Amino acid sequence: MKVLYSWLKDFVDVADGPAEVGRRLSLRGLALEGLEPVGAGEMPPGAAPVADDAVLDFDVTANRPDCLSVVGIAREIATVYGLPLRVPATDAPGYLRLAGLAPVDRATFGVRLDAPDLCPRFAGAAAAVRVGPSPAWMQRRLQALGVRPISNIVDITNYVMLELGQPMHAFDEARLSGDIVVRQARSGETIVTLDGRTRAVQPPQLLVTDTTRAVAVGGVMGGLDSEVTEGTTRIVFEAAWWHPRSIRATSKALGLKTEASTRFERGADPTLQAVAAARACALLELIGAGTADGTIVDVVAAPHAPRVVALTHAHVEGLLGMPVPPAEVARILTSLGFGVAADGPGAWQVEVPGWRPDVARPQDLIEEVGRHHGFEHLPATFPPVHPAPPPSDPRIARDAVARRAMLAMGYSETISFAFVEAAAAEPFAGADGLVTLANPLSETFAVMRPSVLPGVVDAVSHNRRHGRRDVRVFEIATAFGPRGERRMLAAAWTGAAAGDHWSGHRRDVDLFDLTGSLEVLAGAYGVALALDTDAPPYLVPGRAARVVRQGTAVGACGLLDPAVAERRGIPRADAADVYLLELDLDAIAAAAPPGATRVEPLPRFPSAVRDVSLLVDDTLSAATVRDTIRRAAPPTLVSLREFDRYQGKGVPAGKVSVSLRLTFRADDRTLTDDDVASAMGAVIEAARAALGAEQR
Amino acid sequence: MPTLDELTSRIAEQDAAFSAALAELDAALPAARAHALDALKVAWTGRKSGRIADLMALLPSLPAADRKVFGQRVNALKQRVEAALADRETAVAATRRPAGAVDLTLPGRRPQLGHRHPLSLVREEVQQIFTLGYQVLEGPECEDDWHNFEALNMHEEHPARDMQDTLYLASPVTAAPRAPWARPRRRGPRAAAAHPAPHAHLGDADPLHGAARSPVPWCDRPGLPARQPRPHAPPMFHRCEGLVVGKGITLAHLKGTLLAMAEALFGAGTSVRFRPSFFPYTEPSAEVDVRCIRCAGAGCAVCKQTGWLEILGSGMVHPAVFEAVGYDPDEVTGFAFGMGIERVALLKWDVGDIRLFYENDLRFLEQFSL
Repeated sequence: MKVLYSWLKDFVDVADGPAEVGRRLSLRGLALEGLEPVGAGEMPPGAAPVADDAVLDFDVTANRPDCLSVVGIAREIATVYGLPLRVPATDAPGYLRLAGLAPVDRATFGVRLDAPDLCPRFAGAAAAVRVGPSPAWMQRRLQALGVRPISNIVDITNYVMLELGQPMHAFDEARLSGDIVVRQARSGETIVTLDGRTRAVQPPQLLVTDTTRAVAVGGVMGGLDSEVTEGTTRIVFEAAWWHPRSIRATSKALGLKTEASTRFERGADPTLQAVAAARACALLELIGAGTADGTIVDVVAAPHAPRVVALTHAHVEGLLGMPVPPAEVARILTSLGFGVAADGPGAWQVEVPGWRPDVARPQDLIEEVGRHHGFEHLPATFPPVHPAPPPSDPRIARDAVARRAMLAMGYSETISFAFVEAAAAEPFAGADGLVTLANPLSETFAVMRPSVLPGVVDAVSHNRRHGRRDVRVFEIATAFGPRGERRMLAAAWTGAAAGDHWSGHRRDVDLFDLTGSLEVLAGAYGVALALDTDAPPYLVPGRAARVVRQGTAVGACGLLDPAVAERRGIPRADAADVYLLELDLDAIAAAAPPGATRVEPLPRFPSAVRDVSLLVDDTLSAATVRDTIRRAAPPTLVSLREFDRYQGKGVPAGKVSVSLRLTFRADDRTLTDDDVASAMGAVIEAARAALGAEQR
Repeated sequence: MPTLDELTSRIAEQDAAFSAALAELDAALPAARAHALDALKVAWTGRKSGRIADLMALLPSLPAADRKVFGQRVNALKQRVEAALADRETAVAATRRPAGAVDLTLPGRRPQLGHRHPLSLVREEVQQIFTLGYQVLEGPECEDDWHNFEALNMHEEHPARDMQDTLYLASPVTAAPRAPWARPRRRGPRAAAAHPAPHAHLGDADPLHGAARSPVPWCDRPGLPARQPRPHAPPMFHRCEGLVVGKGITLAHLKGTLLAMAEALFGAGTSVRFRPSFFPYTEPSAEVDVRCIRCAGAGCAVCKQTGWLEILGSGMVHPAVFEAVGYDPDEVTGFAFGMGIERVALLKWDVGDIRLFYENDLRFLEQFSL
């Protein structure tokens, strides 16, 4: 809301200049968004010129329709500075005068309200007018607030709206036939609004009509053929109250947002209609634009019943946590226009003025007291600590384990959007399908990611396109499916397996770097994970696997299909393979045992290490060889690991030489050479018998 | 026949030339001086064609009476040259690696460590600030209408519920795993509202269990930007939210808590400022500013000359929210706040462009350590 400093001074004698006023209001709830000095200009007759005049632009929050008016902001200033507020009155000086209008049941026109629940009050006052331009001071004020001057009559309606917050309308009385009726639109009805557009209206939208046709979309915009023109000689000023819900719905349905609809949909003052009409009539006479008839037809279907809210001093200080003297509570509320009546010691009955639809509860009043007493007076204290809140979300500590492991393995952490484009999501979609958005911001963000892999693939793509060949990244985030949200770990690794070093040659990442990462993660969580060759479709068969725990898939691992990589913009030219890893952390956590509760004692007896090289068929899996050995070995075999695998010179075609390191240990004695030799003999014999393995 | 004065002036010329050569040598990298020093020695003190020898060779051309003086002058130059070269020799020798020693200036073999994402760092920092006495939670990212709006005093006509202000899922999804530690939802079908973030949030209205205690759920979830998408604006951001509910919780408790958080995030001596504001789910409501961390309040480009930076929205839980989740607002009060993680990270590291957080460019990420 823009407001002219000199206009504010009609209502409050503030001594501070506009910048200081803006600064002080910003700390009391009206944030100053802009300040434009404009210098002295024309003033209404009788008002003193203001040399340092300026336009202040305040950000008015949605709950404060009263501050969409000059007098509303002036009221805040008066409260901040402890100054009295001047309001228009019948005995006020010329530029603040209200006309005295005698209430009548009908004047040259009558008023009927056929939708009293949505338009419970309608005031009309007629006048004889001479249409022409409005005076310079009025035009200056309207322009400063962003409203274009049109004619003296229209300018008066806008002036009253900006000054008091009550939107008004002026009809050419000659173009009205019969009484004014406020009713719901009929199906198929149309009206040409002031902007020249024909609008189809329908129930329950509200119209102002005469006996023949619609003359205005109530509270939103007037009709074209009853508008005030140069030839108009008599007018009817309208000041009505429209229900916010009705105006919001109508404005939205018609796609028509006006200064009037904005004020009505937030909630105008339901007590202000006769005052606004009297103000318009006084201004008409002040600027010599005509003469009011001196009567008002003010139809009130349901009088506004002011809310009364009980407030206690203990509640004020109890909610704010700072002392505010009772006299200060009363001063602030009174200054803001609340009716404050003592109700025993430290208690009040507070009547809420019509312009404060936002205030319904004591907490609302406490906010008024708090902000005007000043949040700067709040002490900084701590809430009482209760020692044992319920446990925190176990995912936090759980995810931190994976994060630490991945960082230690050289993966950098990325964060990507939960929304992806359908093309990015589709390769990774599960059997359940995708979760799509009904109203995406754009096609780029049309679906919720079914997996976190699209994010890390795009991270690879971005870095590749910016000259970075070696990329090792991970993300821990949520994937979305029709059956809910899952917390996933996704990783991508491409390019070098380790940084270049002068002492040796580089090696590019391969699948075993990824399965190794998986082994580290399985170890970190204390779960057993297996690999199943049935790989998901976005990975290259034979170079990929599903990660399985007890028969259930919990992830995937392998080489990204180059076609998918290319579609995500990863340049094919540098031909570096992209390896991916994804793990369902929710599934892993469900399986993970609680952390170790005691430490294993260190072995008391030494272990014996033996290496053996076996020549086996190269189609035989390492797991088969290991399992065969494990079955044949005595329980003293504590570890078994491949340390070399060789094919080439000296090894027949179709065979592979596998070197294994076996560690034996007993808990109760030192193993003798004979013990170990017999164990090795059993192992080698079993490999020979079961696998046809030859010792090399 | 040249005079003594003429030849003496040639000594002076050589003296100046040597000073220049020496200055050039001294300007070279210390380790690269050895080679230049050898060349200098040959050029100046070489027996046959060194510059000193050349000067000495002029001696016979002088009258005998002048030779002694000239000889002394050449010798003075020679001593200066030799002393200076010997001095440089010692210095150069000191830079030589002893035979057999390892060249420690070669790069070490550096294991690759991953780098943390700055948003993850801020999130963890906030989680750690609220370790004692707080329950730390992570919320679902897709939220249903009741949790997202109804329970938060944003009824059907609230402008935030317009299609243009909130992203909706096209079809309902199964309830997100609200995890075993959160109690079953009270009511409300799981319709389908993806989270609208710009409206500060109490987070989930659900985790208000245990009225008499003051459990403080803390949630973070991506959200979506306000209103119509602006060009270049990211489609989501991350939030953390705090809530304390109990008997006698006050706005002053909120201020103390947020001040402590600001000091932990931005350093001791940070001050905070509350500005009255409006949110449908808090009353009173306040926007919270911190004293500009770049200029300490003097006014700079970061704080747009105001000396303050807005970091979060907060307030006292609105009684209607308590009523929606079955609490008696006459019995308990509470405070709540919601803070954008991006906002904190932007300020903390002076990041110029919010898009850097989502591009995952390693040149950016590698500026953050573990």
